[in-house]
This record gives sequence, structure tokens and C-alpha cells, in this order.
Amino acid sequence: MLRNYLSIYRPDFPKVVVYMLQATEYQIGPYLRWLWRTSDFSKVMHRKTLVMTKPAKLLLITLYIGILTQLSLATVLGIWGISEPVPGLPLVALILFFCAPVVWSHLIVLPLILGRMFIIRPSHAVQVRKSHKSFKEHKALKIAVAGSYGKTTLKEMLLTVLSEGKKVAATPANLNVPISHARFAKKLSGDEDVLILEYGEGAPGDIAKFAKVTKPDIGIITGLAPAHLDKYKTLQRAGEDIFSLAQYLNPSDVYVNSESEAAQPFVKKSFNTYDSKNAAGWAIGEIKVSLDGTSFEMKKGDKTLKAKSQLLGRHQVGPLGVVAALADRLGLGVQQIEAGISKIEPFEHRMQPRKTAGAWILDDTYNGNIDGMKAGLRLLQELPAKRKVYITPGLVDQGSESAKIHQELGEAIASAKPHVVVLMKHSVTPNIQKGLEANGYKGRLIIEDDPLDFYNNLDKFIAAGDLVMMQNDWPDQYE
Amino acid sequence: MKTVAVIFGGRSTEHDVSIITAIASIIKPLELTKQYKVEAVYIAKDGSWYWDDRLKEIELYQSGEIEDLMRRAPKVHLLFDNGLTLVKSSQFAGRKMYRKIDVVFPAMHGTHGEDGELMGLLEMANVPYVGCGVAASAVAMDKVLSRMTARGAGIRVPVWLALKSHLIGPSSVKKLSNELKYPLFVKPAHLGSSIGITKVDQEKELMNALEVAAHYDDVVIVEEAVPNLIEVTLPIMGNEEPIPAKLEQPLTKPEDFFDFDTKYLRGGKKGKSGSKAGAQGYSQIPAKLPKDLYKKAEETALNVYKALGCSGIARVDLLIDSKTKKVYFNEVNPLPGGLYAHNWRLAGVSNVDLVSRLIHYAEQRWLARQKIITSFNTSYLKQF
Repeated sequence: MLRNYLSIYRPDFPKVVVYMLQATEYQIGPYLRWLWRTSDFSKVMHRKTLVMTKPAKLLLITLYIGILTQLSLATVLGIWGISEPVPGLPLVALILFFCAPVVWSHLIVLPLILGRMFIIRPSHAVQVRKSHKSFKEHKALKIAVAGSYGKTTLKEMLLTVLSEGKKVAATPANLNVPISHARFAKKLSGDEDVLILEYGEGAPGDIAKFAKVTKPDIGIITGLAPAHLDKYKTLQRAGEDIFSLAQYLNPSDVYVNSESEAAQPFVKKSFNTYDSKNAAGWAIGEIKVSLDGTSFEMKKGDKTLKAKSQLLGRHQVGPLGVVAALADRLGLGVQQIEAGISKIEPFEHRMQPRKTAGAWILDDTYNGNIDGMKAGLRLLQELPAKRKVYITPGLVDQGSESAKIHQELGEAIASAKPHVVVLMKHSVTPNIQKGLEANGYKGRLIIEDDPLDFYNNLDKFIAAGDLVMMQNDWPDQYE
Repeated sequence: MKTVAVIFGGRSTEHDVSIITAIASIIKPLELTKQYKVEAVYIAKDGSWYWDDRLKEIELYQSGEIEDLMRRAPKVHLLFDNGLTLVKSSQFAGRKMYRKIDVVFPAMHGTHGEDGELMGLLEMANVPYVGCGVAASAVAMDKVLSRMTARGAGIRVPVWLALKSHLIGPSSVKKLSNELKYPLFVKPAHLGSSIGITKVDQEKELMNALEVAAHYDDVVIVEEAVPNLIEVTLPIMGNEEPIPAKLEQPLTKPEDFFDFDTKYLRGGKKGKSGSKAGAQGYSQIPAKLPKDLYKKAEETALNVYKALGCSGIARVDLLIDSKTKKVYFNEVNPLPGGLYAHNWRLAGVSNVDLVSRLIHYAEQRWLARQKIITSFNTSYLKQF
């Protein structure tokens, strides 16, 4: 208890504060909630440490100067109060001295608020306005990719396949906010045939704003799942926002993942749909899944397409199918599409296979939604292995549905029947356990309270013949 | 939760290897099981025993802080109370700390630990312990006795002679040269980790090699090199029904051999310092041998394990003449460095499972021994 309290007086406390700000992407609400919740600041930078970026350096200097100034002032007041003597002043000085870390860990948000209000927002607004004109004037076909999950993967699939026959540009990595689109627009050469834009949803109205600025011709909705419910509050509102994209398109230019159950209430009959059986009129069959990749056949009229992908899992078939269908629509030949699909490499931390000492590790630590987790678990069940190990901390940002979703996850884990389940201990662990019990899980359950230690020693847990699936990561700022 | 004492270090040339084995391959995996409370018991080079949680950190030894700890920390007393209890003075008011041990996991290599001495102590305490028993450990660590035992069980061994170190001189060199065919290997009779071994191609080098070996041991063994050599090793675990891991082949050239530096410091290949360090980066697993030869070697190793009465875990080294396909017994290591966890992993046994199984074998053997009557009442004293 005392040790926890004293942790705010450690010399590295300012560094911890800036790390917390950095980890929460300088969002004041999440930062303050984390600050108020933390009892022992010595353990905050356990898994990761502060990256000394320019803003981090500036904030750190501000903090050190602020705290030192307050401590100096308190010392001067204390000496004055004792030497004069001024009644009450030594007490004020004492309070001032000891509350310095508390005061400055709160005051530090002020420059952020002011900077955001007077510098960043106006500057971003100007850049976004300029990009409006660039997108409007650009003659390329614009494909928007929206959804609660799988956007970056689908965008990368499109980029690889369409590049076989077109000049394509896509928003980089998972940068999907208005300012990253504006920066992307600046870099365009103007002669691109296709632009692929990832729309990141975060709060009601976001998708419509994107659509107004970028003027898409085709829209793909990858699915709907609980995410960002802190802002959306309900899945219904998140769905309404994501599907607002359709209002800016002809219904025949909208493609929706029909494997996403939550998205179905928003799907109109006139939309195109895709899943592992059908993608925009193409029949899909002959699906084969192994640790080497996934293969399938697509047929439409007299056209047959034999796809062989390095990506793992039946759940990849639907997205690959819609990409192939779109490529066909844009005029690419069957061979070009097949070549493109074969070139798509597993994405980092997204069902990325790795072989260590004869064991297969499936790194799916960027998977952060229940649909994606279930798809991964189905893959785990389907693949052969001497021993199957499943590792997860659970999901963050699940709002009021969290308990239900994690119980659902527990049930899905039990259905996949891994021999060993390792749960990283967090607030949601009991809910996952409840789901495991409900579905009668009989394997070995390990509750790990030091995830870092576990991951660092993963090689000691595994052996040849093992198949280990790691799903999702749990950032430090979450309980 | 059971308490496991891991004993490591010791008065041996393989003191440092033992620290690595204990910390990386035993203590950490045991803790990861979350089924055992692990107590680290360190035997310093002077033979003093220490018991402290800080002894689990490798940095303590790398930084030299171990010296400071040994100056301050109280030494350990052992209490034999139909089992084993660790006792040390607490730093508060002279009170003593006690820790009853359920299982001991020896992580000692070489003399005064791997050779049966520690096992004798643990037998006296009547506590379950991991690995080979007193007799098997003593025989395994004695190259003379192990060869005689293997030969007695019908297992082929290279042509060899042994001599006491005080007999080393020009006449013994002459005698050895007359009776054995070069090239020869000269080895201390009781050391592991290839310490003190020299390959001798001609008579003029023999004296020096004998002196090197005699520096480490009072008995020296000289053996003929097996021609067309393939050197292989097989980790084995279990009691009555031993299970083999994968046959492993060191990737050294025929003119080289496995010495201490090659095994532990250079990461395998002689003369190459850039390769992966430690006892894991130098081998081919499984050894690329014809199927029948692989099977023959595996059977030979299992026969050696049984003939020597090994239990728990051991590693059997074999020499193969690739032309004649003859398999020779070379030596047994009753506690392989790092438990050969890298090999077990490829055989489908993780490091965590390996230590758990070894604890199980220790308890199984101890339980079996409890059924044996060791004392009974007589009227002898009354008659005296």
C-alpha cells in the first residue's frame, strides 16, 4: 500500500506519465481514467517503455520543469514560513511539495488540449479541405473499405491483386483517419487507375464524413462487431454509421460480408454479398485449408478461377473471393487474378504462421473482435496437430456487452477443443472461464498473471507437433 | 503446491554449465508449470551451500554479485527428518527459516554431483530426486566402469586401455603405442562436457595428452579412434520403460571432435565464433542416418541405459563406423547439459513437460523404493 503510494515520487514518474499519454495516443479521457485507476506506477512500464518521439520529449521536459518549479517554490515557502515565522505557511509548503506529482500529472493535459484546439485541429481542417478537391478531381476508381474489422487485410488483398493489371494506390498500413487520407491525397501522382481508401470508424458520423470527402465509386463492408462502443454506445449505432457508406453509392456497388451476423440487419437485397460459398455472383467451392495456406475454386458462367493463397483459414475465402470478383469486374484476367492471390503474404500479427522448433505458431495478436476470434478458433479446430494450445487475454473496448462477448468467446474456445488454454489474467478472464465451463471444456486451463514472462518463455511451453494460436493483445491501459 | 529444490553449481569443472542448466532449463520451466514452489540451492566452488530466491537470476552470476551474496547470506543446513528440510538463519532476531522439500532436482554436472555423491546424500535423506540413482550415476561417470558394464551386457565398445595418473611416463607411452592403433583419444576417466580430452595422431603427442588428462583426473583412459566416424548422442528419459528423444549428430568435421569450447562456448563448430552460442546450435536433429542404422543406434543407446541401471534421465553417446555400420558405446551423461531440452522439444516434449515428467519419474522411483524393507526387528541386541 505504502509502496504503491510512494511510486509517484520515483524519479521516473514523469516518464511513466508521458508513457501513459503516448500509449493512449494522447487522448485525455483514456489517459485520465488510466491515471486515476493506477495504484502502483512502478509497474506501468512493465511490458513496453516510452518511445522518445518529439512530442514525448517536449511533454517530458514540461513535466520535469513543472515539478521542479513547484518543489523549489514549496522549499522557499517552507524556509520562509519557518524563519519569519508565518503561521500556516510551512503546512502550505508541505502540501505543495508532496502534491507536485499529482498536480503535474493532471496539468500536463493542458498543453495537449490547447495544442489540439489552436494548432492541430485548424491545421488538419485545412489539409482535409484541400484533399476534398484532390479526391474530387482524381479520375481513378475509388474503392472505400469500411467495417469493424478486417479492413486493412482486405485493402492489402485488393492492392496486391489489382496491381497485377492496374496502377493502384492505397492508404498506407492501418492509417484510416481524415488527416492520413489528406496526406495520402498529397502523395498521389494523378495517373492512378484505382484508389483504395480505408475508412476508420470511431464515432457516429465518421463514415459519412469520409464518403463526402473522398467520393467513393465502390464500397466494401467487411463486417460489424462490437468496437469503439465507448463512442457508439450500441452495436446498432455502430452499424448505422458503417452502413451510411451505402447512401453515397449505387446499391450494386456495395459489397457486404454476409458471414458477419451482426451486419445482416443492415444488408439490402440490392447489395452484393460475399462469403465462403459465393462472392458477388461467383460460386466458391473446393476449399482446402492447411498450414501451407488456403486454396479454393471460383466459377461464374464459363469462367473458372483456381486460387491458392498463403493466407490461413476458411474465413479468408470470402474476402479473397470478393477481391477476385472485383478484379474481374475491373477487367483483370483469370491468370492475373490467380497470380495476384498467390502473391498475398500473411500480414504481420494477423494469422501469421511461424515455425519454431517443429511447432507452428499462429500469431493473430492483432485480432481484436469476436467474429475474428471465432474464425481463428474454427481454423484451430480444423488444422491437424499433436497438441493444440490457445492463448488470449480477451478483447478490449467491448462496452457493456463485454461480459456476454467474453462468455461467448469462452464457449467458442471450448468448442475448438484445444488441449491447453492459456488466459492472460485481466478483468474479463472470469467471463471467459464461465464460457469454457458452460461448454464443458475438459483440457488444461492455465491462468497467467504475467503475460510478458509467459510470452518471453513461450519456447519452453512448446514442442514439435504443437499448434499454438495467439489471439489479440491487451494494451497496458486496459484493466 | 509441492516444493522442489534445484541444487546446482558445485565443486566441479562444470560449475558454470550447471548454473545455466539449473536456471534456464529447470528452474524457469518448473516455475512456468505453476505447480511447484522452486527453491534454488547453490553450491559454491568452495563447497558451501546457499539457498536464496536471488540465486534464480542469471545476472547475479554474470555480474559477479554472487560473491557479495555469498559474503552476506547465511549458509544452508540440511535437516534429515525422514525427508529433507533446508534450514538457514533468518536475518531477523536469529530465527531460523525451514523449508521442507518434496522433491530434489539435481542440476549438477561432473564431479561431486553428477557422479553419485549428491545422490548418496539424497538417498540418506530419503527424499525423491530426479535422475539416475547412486550406482548408475557413479558407473556412468566412470568411463572405465561404464565400458566394462556395457561390454558385459554385450554392447560393443572401442578398443581402450586405462592407466593411473602416477604411472604416466615414457614407458607407458611406449606400451600404449604398441598396444593401440593411432589415432587415439585420451580422456580423464571421470569428467563430462569433453573437458581434458585430446586427440592424438602420433606417439610424440601422446605424453602431452596424457598429462593434460591427468591434470583433471587420477585415472586416464586411452582409446582407439573409430574410423569413418559418425558421432551421435541420444537423450533418454524414464524408469522401467525408457523413452528416447531424437538421435542427434554433432556437425563437426571428422578431424574435429566435441571439446568443451565446441559444446558450450563456440556454439558448436570449432573455430567459428559467430554461430549460435550454447549447446543447441551445433547439431543435426534427427541425425541423418539410414533407417536401419538409426534404429540400431537407438536400440544400442536404450540397452546401455538399461544395462547401467539409469533412471529419470540420461544421455548416451555413441560412435558409429559409417562403413562397417558398427555402433560403439562411448559414454553416458547422467545429467545432460540443459537437459538436452532442445532435442526433447523436437521429439515433441516441451521444456515445461520435460521437467514435470522428470519430477513424476523421481516420485515414481521413490515410491517403489519405499516398498522395499530396509530394516526389521531382531533380538540381536538383547543377546549381546
